[in-house]
Amino acid sequence: MTGPTNAGGAVPSKDGTALRGGSRATSRLSLRHSTPLIVTGALLVVLFIAALLRSGSMGITGQALLTGIISGGVYSLLAMGLTLVFGVLDIVNFAHGAFLAVGLYITYEVAHQAGLNPYIALPVAILGLFVLGLLIQLLLLNRTMGGTLERQLLITLGLSLLISNVLLLVFGGDPLSANLKSDPGVHVFGAVANLSRVIALGGALVLAVLVFLLLERTSFGRAIRAVAASRQGAGLVGIDVRLVYAVTFGLGTACAGAAGMLIAPFTTITPTAGDQFNILAFVVVVMGGLGNVMGAVISGVIVGLVEQLGGVAIAGQSPLLGVFILFLLILLIRPQGIFGATSS
Amino acid sequence: MRTRSFVKLVAAVGSGAVLLAGCAGGGSGGSSGDAKVIKIGTLHPLSGANAGDGTQLENGVKLGIKAINDAGGIKALGGAKLELDGGDTKGTPDTGQSEAQRLVGDGVVALVGTYQSAVSANVAAVAERNKVPFVMDVSGDDAILSHGYKYSFRMQPQNSRFGTTAAQYVKAISAAANRPVTKVAYLHEATAFGTGVYQAFKAEAQKSGLQMGPEITYDAASVSDLTTQIAQVKASGANVLVVSGYYRDGVLAAKAIQTVKPALDAVVGAADGAFDQPQFPTDAGSASQGYFDVNYHFDDKSADAKAFSALYKTTYKDEARTGAALAYDSVRVIAAALEKAGSTDASKVRDAIAQTNLTPLTLSDGPIKFSDKGENSTSLPVLTQVQNGAPVVVYPQSAAVKSPVYPANPGQ
Repeated sequence: MTGPTNAGGAVPSKDGTALRGGSRATSRLSLRHSTPLIVTGALLVVLFIAALLRSGSMGITGQALLTGIISGGVYSLLAMGLTLVFGVLDIVNFAHGAFLAVGLYITYEVAHQAGLNPYIALPVAILGLFVLGLLIQLLLLNRTMGGTLERQLLITLGLSLLISNVLLLVFGGDPLSANLKSDPGVHVFGAVANLSRVIALGGALVLAVLVFLLLERTSFGRAIRAVAASRQGAGLVGIDVRLVYAVTFGLGTACAGAAGMLIAPFTTITPTAGDQFNILAFVVVVMGGLGNVMGAVISGVIVGLVEQLGGVAIAGQSPLLGVFILFLLILLIRPQGIFGATSS
Repeated sequence: MRTRSFVKLVAAVGSGAVLLAGCAGGGSGGSSGDAKVIKIGTLHPLSGANAGDGTQLENGVKLGIKAINDAGGIKALGGAKLELDGGDTKGTPDTGQSEAQRLVGDGVVALVGTYQSAVSANVAAVAERNKVPFVMDVSGDDAILSHGYKYSFRMQPQNSRFGTTAAQYVKAISAAANRPVTKVAYLHEATAFGTGVYQAFKAEAQKSGLQMGPEITYDAASVSDLTTQIAQVKASGANVLVVSGYYRDGVLAAKAIQTVKPALDAVVGAADGAFDQPQFPTDAGSASQGYFDVNYHFDDKSADAKAFSALYKTTYKDEARTGAALAYDSVRVIAAALEKAGSTDASKVRDAIAQTNLTPLTLSDGPIKFSDKGENSTSLPVLTQVQNGAPVVVYPQSAAVKSPVYPANPGQ
């Protein structure tokens, strides 16, 4: 799959070597991925027109656009953590949804037990899940690094079951809520969204920029990228690879915790609440190119838009139909995802 | 020395085990000396997304078993005690099926379950194959009992009845309020449950001359925002919105309705999993005000039902939902059948269940009676409305404790 992908005439991959996943965990985008981007853009335009024709109302279509961008922001935040962990550690983290649920329950505790505004839970959720992720990597996953992929996969799958069952034991299976005292609708060009959802989008964007800056502008970020490119090479130049693993897993987990907190005010809180996002997050990660953080952010919004516009355009079906059609198209045109590395 | 203390230990453990076994078997009670234990198998989702409801149903069974045992067990069988043999379906049909198989192997006299139609469909097949009676407490899908099964019975009304009665009730209360419904928009989750209720509603609505607006569907497992869907409702100009979904998405719908503010006279759930639940007003806040739901419900006028709710609350520190009462009644149905059959023979118990005649804790048109298909033909869906932060029965008049408020102006 090299022919069409370099059509943009941009510089070839900077590492150019056969190194597996050479440009993973970098947050850069380049225009060499123009073909799948054009296909995606065209599909979005087609969906937009179809939604407009089908509903016969700019109001509905505008609402779908706004809702799509907003729910896409949450998918982005979740997928960002997932793709970071994959890019650097090669771990397919099945516990990501469970970590999101932990973020939900932290928010519930802050809002109910302490009677505070749920947003005060944001730093708690980020820090708490960062530490949880760090410990899991240090105590559990680090021993399996470099072994077969199945071991880490089974461990994260087990963790996911463990976490949701501990939550079930402690909080029971009944749905809980951490509502805001008032959650007014915010009007944007005739469309409307709850304040809590707008805050979730804003929070997701801010966190995405922070992770981007961390990866691109700090020396630790450089160490993370070095480990992603070659763990052996990074080790040889004196980078503590195990520490980088632990911090990266902690960061990925913190992203899930932040996402959990940000969606808590407008969702119902159950031990398995994270599961509903699992499939979508994996679709976003694969579409964005495994390991590509910026790719995940953009794909998240694309998936949100396709879901909403598709739901209007193809009535009487699951709104995810459009998402999976796009997913199949991307896999056919460019199996490594829209923003994935060319070599594989 | 060593051997002797070892023997002592074994003896101690052994006698302890005998004692325990005696207790478990309820050996001290019963007048006829060899009072045996009759196992009842339960299949509910005790983990997974529906664990909250599954636990309610399981608790209902436990209370049912305790009530029968406290009243002296099955007298026709020498005061035999009932014992629970529980299985966790995890909410998945294949686990439900394998657990059902295990319970049948354990020698349960009957099965109670399962909350989810897809799970019940598999369990019903196991029950039929092994000739073990299966009493469904909660599971609405019409298709489960469409195969001519002899050993499966259903306590709650089937899905199509919810759709049909919802259309009748909406028409009746809107006409009574002099504000007849003209156009109905329908929002439902996209699997067999939502689609089945929708089709029954649509058939009945068209028969009685109601105009159906847009049919809007969503995927209950993945949906996280229903704002776009409610914007479609608003644009359609419908004056009533009917919703069929589960709890989480029901709360999402209520919040989206409050944000988008479509001009509706009423939001009516047809077998919706949220709008008649006691915690719905807590989770949806002021957005829940005035919401209707057509569902099975406690008989609020029955002393037995009140006693059951109070007992549930003191035992489990939680508000009982109607599902728990259906599970409780399922145990009573089985116990009454054992009493009548005077035997634990499966085919005799099955025949006795088919002739059940028991007053249920839920609202009904009379005592529980099973049709030859196994449907509880007297079960009655009723209309509830959230008034002053709690769902109460408002229609039909025979069952109502309050009058319906119509138009309800939801989300205003």
